[in-house]
Amino acid sequence: MAAPEVHHLFHHPIADHSFSADRKTLAVARDTTVELYSRVGNAFKLKDELKGHDKTVTSVDIAPNSGRIVTCSQDRNALVWEPSPQGYKPTLVLLRINRAATFVRWSPSETKFAVGSGDRVIAVCYFEEENDWWVSKHLKKPIRSTITTVSWHPNSVLLAAGSTDAHARVFSAFIKGVDARPDPSVWGERLPFNTVCGEYMNNSAGWVHSVAFSPSGDAVAFAAHDSSITVVYPSGPDQPPKAIISVNTQLLPFMSLIWNGEAEIIAAGYDCEAFRFKGDSNGWQLSGTLEAAKSRPGLGGGDREESALNMFKQMDLKGKVKDDTQLKTIHQNTISTIRPYEESGSGVTKFSSSGVDGRVVIWHT
Amino acid sequence: MQALACDHSPRPHINPHSITSTKAVSPARTPSTPTTTIQVDTRVSNTLAMSQSLRPYLQAVRSSLTAALCLSNFASQTAERHNVPEVESRTSPEALLTPLTIARNENERVLIEPSINSVRISIKIKQADEIESILVHKFTRFLNQRAESFFILRRKPIKGYDISFLLTHVHTEEMLKHKLVDFIIEFMEEVDKEISEMKLFLNARARFVAESFLTPKRWFSALRWGFGRERNELFPRFINGSIIDHHIT
Amino acid sequence: MSIIQQHSEASLGDGWRRIDIDRLIEDSSVNFDTSTLHPPLPETSDAEVLQINSQVRQLLRGGDSEGALRGCLEMPVYNGSDSAKDSHLHTVIEVLQSIKASDMTPMLQRIYNTPGGPECLDVLMKYLYKGMASTSSSSPEGSNSAPRTPTRVTPQQTGFSQVGSRPGQANESTGGAMSVLLSWHEKVTDVAGLGCIGRVMTDWRRV
Repeated sequence: MAAPEVHHLFHHPIADHSFSADRKTLAVARDTTVELYSRVGNAFKLKDELKGHDKTVTSVDIAPNSGRIVTCSQDRNALVWEPSPQGYKPTLVLLRINRAATFVRWSPSETKFAVGSGDRVIAVCYFEEENDWWVSKHLKKPIRSTITTVSWHPNSVLLAAGSTDAHARVFSAFIKGVDARPDPSVWGERLPFNTVCGEYMNNSAGWVHSVAFSPSGDAVAFAAHDSSITVVYPSGPDQPPKAIISVNTQLLPFMSLIWNGEAEIIAAGYDCEAFRFKGDSNGWQLSGTLEAAKSRPGLGGGDREESALNMFKQMDLKGKVKDDTQLKTIHQNTISTIRPYEESGSGVTKFSSSGVDGRVVIWHT
Repeated sequence: MQALACDHSPRPHINPHSITSTKAVSPARTPSTPTTTIQVDTRVSNTLAMSQSLRPYLQAVRSSLTAALCLSNFASQTAERHNVPEVESRTSPEALLTPLTIARNENERVLIEPSINSVRISIKIKQADEIESILVHKFTRFLNQRAESFFILRRKPIKGYDISFLLTHVHTEEMLKHKLVDFIIEFMEEVDKEISEMKLFLNARARFVAESFLTPKRWFSALRWGFGRERNELFPRFINGSIIDHHIT
Repeated sequence: MSIIQQHSEASLGDGWRRIDIDRLIEDSSVNFDTSTLHPPLPETSDAEVLQINSQVRQLLRGGDSEGALRGCLEMPVYNGSDSAKDSHLHTVIEVLQSIKASDMTPMLQRIYNTPGGPECLDVLMKYLYKGMASTSSSSPEGSNSAPRTPTRVTPQQTGFSQVGSRPGQANESTGGAMSVLLSWHEKVTDVAGLGCIGRVMTDWRRV
């Protein structure tokens, strides 16, 4: 396994990151701005700053084909940045929410995007030609708390969302005139806007931090604050799902997860490293970490020698074995987002992670 | 480890908690383990017994804190464009988690109140007698008045505890999480040490003062300076002593 | 003829300044219905708890401490009266106290590796924290709900006479009981990880 590519951009949390389709441009959300980095050789150099928000930017997404960037922030707004020869031109989106916007993602069709918010709604936004602006429709029921994450189905109609009310839900975000009628699937046949196709919760609750549809779109996985990941296989509209598989781990909670093919999930979070899960509708299990022992920087100089007295003192009084300031993982703080970086026919071959420590790391699966 | 418990002669300076903790384990045991009794020097067994109860306590605090300090940036659901510690504002019940209590005995415990973007940690410091509780009060007051320069300290401890910390997601972003945990743990043991040191100091001082006043020659000069009124409370032994009666009345 | 004269005493006071208007709005986030955060919980009556407890004690007397531990962890009292919850807690703690320190880790590992085992350890962790919370304090807690009566780990006079009359138990101090809970806490964390503690916090099914 090749060593991961580590880019330490700055000492500040990265709320979200996104690569352009050619992987030459990297957008990272840093405080109230979005910074655009471009690839120069093996490194990323700061190229541009998108300034338009006046509170923490919570999420950023680059549409792969059109190159448009959408950002959202705790100042309740979302902006669409249109690329032009003179630079990026922002357009304000009419979100009609009055709490923080927490998460944004383009639909695969790139005609819509969904913005999760602390106002207990998801704003599904699309471009209205006649008025020349981005407008939104609200997914409201039955959301009871802040939306923390959204994820699109490959058909661009269904939307999965996770919330701090401990539920992961699948909605229809069908917008007449924008979307073509979707093919019937396990999630349903007729799907008018705001149809709730599924609502799932773990017994031990916990805020949902991340959701993702499987590549086929026939299963949905979510990670919650109870250190679990849950995979749901629906059987058909208005029927109980074929299987709901929860894996409660011994680790700290996961903040983000992606599918790698239909039988593998990669998740990362408060443990500062990525983990691999394997399984299918018969069961899932944790199969190990993606961090190879040799890639760990902490072991470079060898373990520090400590006097026996000091060691016993530490063990005895502080209940810990060794004094260390550096974590043994590549990321030195919580990983907040992981995204596919390079995909092949069968799955993800590389993925990227960004975290509170200001690093963006590109991993081989 | 259990065998060490058998060996405690009633020495005056033994930490009371160490005795109770070791005794507690033994009666519950079925009478099948007297085979491995090891005779250890009492001094060693005392320190071991102490740490035997302190170590799991700090270990429990450490692991609970590590699990609780999984914070994220969460904007308020009630106030527009605000980002407040949910554990303090308490406006979103779903953003609060079950509080955890870790106790070593009735007098020493830690309360961890976690929420989505902040954790409140309250510590009850050991207070075996009145002098200790006065010292703890003074000590925590001193710290609380300087809370500004002590990033994570809460200005006011919550009820039933001596000192409270408030950790928010900003702290976990700027500082290393395990170092924050280390700091709390270190604080917990330092404060115990500090209080007992201060108490020793106080006792030594009291003894010194008493000695110098109770030396008859000095006593005269003290009386001359007007120390007469409280003499009965301070030195009851002298009530019937001839010196005092003679001089004051 | 000023407007002020038409005001009542109540509106002239400043009590209205302290009204939490968020609480009066039905769909405000303050009024979040936390019962949506857990599956429906069947109620456990006091009689059922007594029955479970006596079965557990039977196992304990028979020397099957692992069975006893599993027995009381598989039937946690999530929805029941305070007395039912307390008496179940006492049973759990009694079982914990009767297990030798050297047996803890192997027993926990055996339980963890059986189906349903991880959940059992989650429940055990909940009882460990509850045990520490309920025995530790007789002073007023920070909670603004009705003050909890301090419960002791030592069996109370209310029931289970044959066990309660064991000599030496009655005057056992709470510090001792704590150290048993603390060492169990350490062992459970070793086996079930920090995730287990995390689930105690997130879970709204409280013991």
